[in-house]
Amino acid sequence: MVGPLHYLFLGAVLFALGGVGVVVRRNALIVLMSIELMLNAVNLTFLTFSRFPLVKSAPTQAGFLSGHTAVFFVIAVAAAEAAVGLAIVIAVFRSRSSVNVDEFDTLKF
Amino acid sequence: MEVSWLYLIPLLPLAGAAVNGLLGRWLPKAWLYAVALLVVLLPFCIGVFAWWQVAHIEGETAQVRQLVYTWFSVGSLRVDLGLTFDRLSGTLVLVVTGVGFLIHLYSVGYMDEDPGYWRYFAYLNLFVSMMLLLVLSDNLVAMFVGWEGVGLCSYLLIGFWYDDDAKAYAGRKAFIVNRIGDFGFLIGIFVLYLYTGQVSFQALKVAPLSLGVASAAAALLFVGATGKSAQLPLYVWLPDAMAGPTPVSALIHAATMVTAGVYMVARLSFLYVQAPGVMAVVAVIGVLTALIGAVIGTSQTDIKRVLAYSTVSQLGYMFVGVGVGAFAAGTAHLITHAFFKACLFLGSGAVIHGLKGEQDMARMGGLRRLGLKHTAATFFIATVAITGVLPISGFFSKDEILAQALNTRAFDFLTLLPDPGSPRLAFLGPAIYAIGTVTALITSFYMWRCYLLTFEGEYRGPPEVHPHEAPWVMTLPLWVLAALSVVGALIVLPSRQLPFTWEHFTEGVFARPRGGAPLERLPELVAFGIALVVAWAGFAAAWSLYAPGRGLQGDERIARATPRLRRALASALYVDALYDRILVKPLWATARGLWRAADAMIIDGLLVNGSAQLVAAVGSALRRFQNGDVQRYAAVTAVGVLILVYVFLVRG
Amino acid sequence: MAETVLFWIFFAGVVGAGAQVVLRRNPIHAAMSLVACFFFLAGVYLLLSAHLIAILQVMVYAGAVMVLFVFVILLLNLKEEELGRERVTVWKGIGALAVAASVGLIVVLALRNAYSGPVRDLAVEQLPTGFGTVKAVGRALYLFSVLPFEVTSLLLTVAIVGSVVVAKGKI
Repeated sequence: MVGPLHYLFLGAVLFALGGVGVVVRRNALIVLMSIELMLNAVNLTFLTFSRFPLVKSAPTQAGFLSGHTAVFFVIAVAAAEAAVGLAIVIAVFRSRSSVNVDEFDTLKF
Repeated sequence: MEVSWLYLIPLLPLAGAAVNGLLGRWLPKAWLYAVALLVVLLPFCIGVFAWWQVAHIEGETAQVRQLVYTWFSVGSLRVDLGLTFDRLSGTLVLVVTGVGFLIHLYSVGYMDEDPGYWRYFAYLNLFVSMMLLLVLSDNLVAMFVGWEGVGLCSYLLIGFWYDDDAKAYAGRKAFIVNRIGDFGFLIGIFVLYLYTGQVSFQALKVAPLSLGVASAAAALLFVGATGKSAQLPLYVWLPDAMAGPTPVSALIHAATMVTAGVYMVARLSFLYVQAPGVMAVVAVIGVLTALIGAVIGTSQTDIKRVLAYSTVSQLGYMFVGVGVGAFAAGTAHLITHAFFKACLFLGSGAVIHGLKGEQDMARMGGLRRLGLKHTAATFFIATVAITGVLPISGFFSKDEILAQALNTRAFDFLTLLPDPGSPRLAFLGPAIYAIGTVTALITSFYMWRCYLLTFEGEYRGPPEVHPHEAPWVMTLPLWVLAALSVVGALIVLPSRQLPFTWEHFTEGVFARPRGGAPLERLPELVAFGIALVVAWAGFAAAWSLYAPGRGLQGDERIARATPRLRRALASALYVDALYDRILVKPLWATARGLWRAADAMIIDGLLVNGSAQLVAAVGSALRRFQNGDVQRYAAVTAVGVLILVYVFLVRG
Repeated sequence: MAETVLFWIFFAGVVGAGAQVVLRRNPIHAAMSLVACFFFLAGVYLLLSAHLIAILQVMVYAGAVMVLFVFVILLLNLKEEELGRERVTVWKGIGALAVAASVGLIVVLALRNAYSGPVRDLAVEQLPTGFGTVKAVGRALYLFSVLPFEVTSLLLTVAIVGSVVVAKGKI
C-alpha cells in the first residue's frame, strides 16, 4: 500500500535533485528549471498533507482543501517568476553573450 | 591677634599681576607703572602697620593672624589658607615689599625700552605675591604653594627674553633643578603628615616626633632648600639665571627667593633642633657651598656671574647660621644681605645699562671717573658691607654667624657613626669657623677685585661706547639700599640687651638647639678682630693684583701661576659638565629610548597602526567571501540550512 | 494494487526525468525532460485525488511555463561550443552535499516519525465528496482566500509588464 510517506519521500527526492541542480549547474536556464523542480516538490508535499491530514489537526475552514489552494498559488507565482527570470536571462545574454552564471560576478568586492 | 585685612598683603600684588598681565599690552605705560608700583607699595604700608602692632605685643604670641579660608578638607586633613604675621615673617614682609618696591622703581628705568615691559611687571608682581604668600603662610602646604609660585616666576623671568635660546634654557634649567628640590620638600611634608597628621606650624610645634621622623623630615625639607637657595649640589642654576634682566637677579636671586630656604629652616627651627644630625649636615653643606662659591667667584669676568657666585656663597653663610642653631644670626644676615646684594646687583645693572649691554669686566674700568658717580659710590658702600672692612651691616651679620659657629654646642653630642664609641663631632663648630673665615678672606678678595676692575683704572672698552649714568629712578634705589646697608648695622649688633637688635626682637620666635648655651671659645673681641684682619687682607690681596692701572694683569698672573686651577674655576669646577654626563645625558637617552620603544613602536605602531592594520587585514580576508558567484552563495546557504536542520531537529 | 504499481511507475518517471533535467548539458534536452517530469507529476497528483491541480499542472506548467522556457532557449540559440563544460568546484560539491544531507536528514527523521504525529490514512471512499474537484477547490478559493486570489492577478500583471520591460532591448 502506498501511504503518505511514499509521496513525501518522492517530494524529498525531487527537492534534493532540484537543489543540487541549482548549486551545481552553470547554465542559467538549467538553474531556473531546477528551481521549478523544487517548487513542484513543494506542491507535491502540500497535496500529500492535504490528502492525508495529521490525526490531530482539525479541518480548516476549507475542509482540508487549503493545500490545494496553496498549490494553486504556488503554480501562479512560479509561472510569474519563470517569466521574469527568463526575461532577465535574455537581457543578460544580450550584454554578455553568455548564460553561465559563474561569469556574472561583477557584484563583488 | 586675629585681623581681617592681612590677606591684602599677598592679594594686592596678585591683582596687579592680573591687571598688568591681561590688560598691560594696551594700557598706557604710565598707568601700568602706577599699578605695578602701587601694588607693592601698599602692602609695604600695610606691613608697616602690622609690624607696629606686632612690635608692641610681647612674648611668643606676638602675631597678627588671619585665617583667610579653608582651602580644602579631605578626610582628616584640613588645609587652610592661613597667614601669620609675626616678628620673623613680618620683618621679611617689609624686606620683600620694601626692597621689592625699590627694584620695581628701578625697573621702570631699566626696562623702559623693552617691548615686553608689560609682561615683565606682571611677572614681577606675581613673584612678590607668591613670595609674600610663602613668608606669611602658617602651614606647610600653603607655604609650598608660594614656594612653587616663586619658582614659576623665576622661570618666567629668567627666560624673559625667550627669543634667545640660551636664555630660555637657563630658565628651564633653573626650573628643573628647583623641581628636584621641590620633590624632596614634598616628601618631607608627606613624612610629617604621615606621622603627625598635621601640616600647620602651630600644630607641628607641639606634635611629638621621634628622632628618626624628625631627622627624615628635616633632611627632606632641606633638600628643597638646597634647590631653592642654591646650595650644594643644586646650586648650578643660579649662575645661569643671570640670563634674566638684572633687576630680576637683584630681587629674586639675591634678596628674596633664594632666601626662602633659609626662611623655611628658620621657621621650622622647632623641627630642626629635634634633629641635630641634620643641622650638622645643613651647616657643613652651607660652609662648603660658601667656600666653593667664593673660590669660583674669583675667576669670573662677567660682573653678574661674580655676584651670582657671591650670592651662592653668602647663602651658604646663612645656612651655616641656621645649621649651628644661630637662627637669629642666620636670618639677620638674610636681611642685611638683601640690602647690600640688591644694591650690588642694581649697581651692576646701572653699569650694564650705561655701557649699552656690556657685562664683561674685561671691557670695563675707570667708570667712576667716566661719569657713573652714583653707581660707583653705592657699589663701593655695598662692597664695604659685604666684605666687612668696616663695621657696617655685613660685617656684623656675617661674623656673628661665624662666632656662633665657633661657640656652638649643638653638635656636642653628635657622633660620626651611630656607635657611641666613635669620635664626637664637637669639633665641627670650630672647623666651620675656620673654613668660614678663610672664605671671608676670599670673599673680600673677589669683591674688591670686582669693584676695582669695574670702576677704577683705565677704561678698557670699545671707544664708541660712551658710559653714562643711570636716570634717577635707578640711582635713587641704589642710594636707599646703600643707606640701608650702613644703617642695617644697628639691627644686627649682636646684643640681646639692646632693644633694637634683631637678636632681641626675635627672642621668642626661634627654638633653642640642644646641647646647652654656647661656650665662648674665643673672646668676642678677638673674633671680631680676626674678622677685620681677614677682610683687610683680602682687600690688600685684591689691591696688589688689581690696583688701578693694572687692569686684568692680575688675572693673567694668576693664570700663569696656576693654569690648571684657573681653567677649572673658569668652567665652575666642571660641575655642570659632570651633571651633564651623569644625569642629563642618561635621562635624555632614557627618554629617547622610551620614545622610540614605548611610544613609537608600541603605542603608535602596535596599538594604533596595528589595530587599524588588523582590521584592514581581516577585512581583506573576509571580503573574499563575496566573489559575486551566486551559486557559491547558494551553496553556503545550503550548508547553513543543513546546520539548522541538524541543530533543531536532531538536537531538539 | 493498481495504485501501487502506478505510483512506482510515476515515481521512476519523475525521478528519472528530474535527474535528466539536472544532468543534461543541452538545455533543450533538459527542458524536454522537465516536461516529461511534469506529466509524470500530474499522474502522481491524480493518485492523490488532486484532480484540478493535476490538470492545472499540465495546462499551466507543462503547457505554458515550459513553452516559455523552450521559446527562450530557441531565442538564445546557443551554439554547441557556447555551451560550457561543467566546472565542479569545491564549493559546489560542498553545497550539493549539504543539500542532499539536509533533505536526507529530514527524510530519516520522518521515517522515524520524529516530528509527525500519526497520519490518517484515509481510503478514497472516506474522503469528502468532491475532494479535489474543480467545484470543491473553487469553493475553497473563492470563499476562503479571495484576497490572495485577487492579489495573484495583480502579481501576474506585474510579472508580465516586468518581463516585457526587462527583455526588450529598447523601450
